[in-house]
Amino acid sequence: MEGSMANIIEIGSLVKHFGKNAVLKGIDLAFPKGQVACIIGPSGSGKSTLLRCINLLETPDGGSIRLQGQDVTEMPTGLLHARVGMVFQQFNLFNNLSALENCVLGQVKVLKRSRAQSEETAMRYLERVGMLPYRDARPDQLSGGQKQRAAIARALSMDPDVLLFDEPTSALDPEMVDEVLNVIRTLKDGGLTMLIVTHEMAFARDAADRVVFMDAGQLVEDEPPQILFAQPRNPRTQAFLARSLRR
Amino acid sequence: MPTSFFGWIQLLLDKYGTLFLQGAGVTMLIAVVGTTVGFLIGLLVAILRTFPLKFTAPVWQQGLMHTLRFLLSAYIEVFRGTPMIVQAMVVYYGALQYLKLDIPALSAAFLVVSVNTGAYMAEIVRGGILSIDKGQKEAAVAIGLTHWQSMTSVILPQAIRSILPAVGNEFVVNIKDSSVLNVISVTEVYFMSRSAAGTYLKYFEVFFITAVIYLILTFTTTRLLRLVEKKLSGSDFYTVYGSQSDHQVQIQYTREGT
Repeated sequence: MEGSMANIIEIGSLVKHFGKNAVLKGIDLAFPKGQVACIIGPSGSGKSTLLRCINLLETPDGGSIRLQGQDVTEMPTGLLHARVGMVFQQFNLFNNLSALENCVLGQVKVLKRSRAQSEETAMRYLERVGMLPYRDARPDQLSGGQKQRAAIARALSMDPDVLLFDEPTSALDPEMVDEVLNVIRTLKDGGLTMLIVTHEMAFARDAADRVVFMDAGQLVEDEPPQILFAQPRNPRTQAFLARSLRR
Repeated sequence: MPTSFFGWIQLLLDKYGTLFLQGAGVTMLIAVVGTTVGFLIGLLVAILRTFPLKFTAPVWQQGLMHTLRFLLSAYIEVFRGTPMIVQAMVVYYGALQYLKLDIPALSAAFLVVSVNTGAYMAEIVRGGILSIDKGQKEAAVAIGLTHWQSMTSVILPQAIRSILPAVGNEFVVNIKDSSVLNVISVTEVYFMSRSAAGTYLKYFEVFFITAVIYLILTFTTTRLLRLVEKKLSGSDFYTVYGSQSDHQVQIQYTREGT
């Protein structure tokens, strides 16, 4: 087995096409346990697709993805999804269920936890994201920021090893962005591995252990934020950062 | 013999009141059974037809799924593409002549109406599923739910609520269209009316009563369905536990726009 076991995720030569369009052109990446990595890059650079390949929401066309040394395509899908959680740009809460039930459903059906235990876990994480008072509210009764915080609690309730964030604040009104980013910041201390696709450069700079810059389906630069934001080496990174920071 | 219209109505009701009532009962029974079973068929067919096919699945599984999808589409096309009156004849006399099965007319009626309704319901349910944004299905997959689990716990409860008016339509259609089953001598209200009309040759008067009966049945049904719809749309209230200043308080909120 290649790579060290300290890496929780190892991606090798990952390729993905949509029709004739090559979205990922051979990505190699490894993430140690507990690392918080932000993935940045222009729209259409393949950031989201990379994330969605990791939990097989997209089927890779080539290369390999390993979770603690195990090929994800060979894992039972329930187990893979229990261990790799995901937070979506559009929240995707279950609209027929309360915030609490959103967090309970997966625990009962997938992890086979008892109802009481599931509710206890759900309450704990709802409290952590500041949504405990709204546990009985349904998604259509919540604001965007509240929905996203509930969606984070839903993902955490499965006690995953890895949490993937697919542009978690892109669909939010500006004043709600911070409440969500602050919640994500608090999760850093828990030892959870987080991969965050984001356009929030300030957040990437101060919250990430590592920033990965992607462009046109390729990995262009991969550095700690202090280095990537201060002295980007690649001209494409420089151009992108100049554009994003000017805003 | 009565001379006025209302006189005849009075006489026919006195004489054939129970006949009309029995017929109305059979009509409603066929409509309820046919719509309920048809709805269940529709749900099942829709779940099967939306089953995602993975490229990584073994060849035999893919083959099985393709065959199943073909058969389900064929079922829907055949039963939507032929009149129920013809289906009734084919099933009833087909069973009699070729399977030597003399199925009771009422059982044949249940069968034909259910299977016919199922074909329409399958499409209605499919539409309902398509109306739910696919992000929720993705989120269900992302926490590890199976297709069946995500359908029954997340997608269908929402889809059913949005298709309820269409399901109600099917119910009303079934109340009326079960009249075609008189061709296989099902004793529903149209069949009973024809028998009643035959005695005095008072077709207008009898079928005037019949029309009123149908109207009462359909009107009552639509009102009841409206109630069910209201019930299913869920509570308009929710409670927030605690506020920044008072942690014990429970605040009732009303959803906006209701």
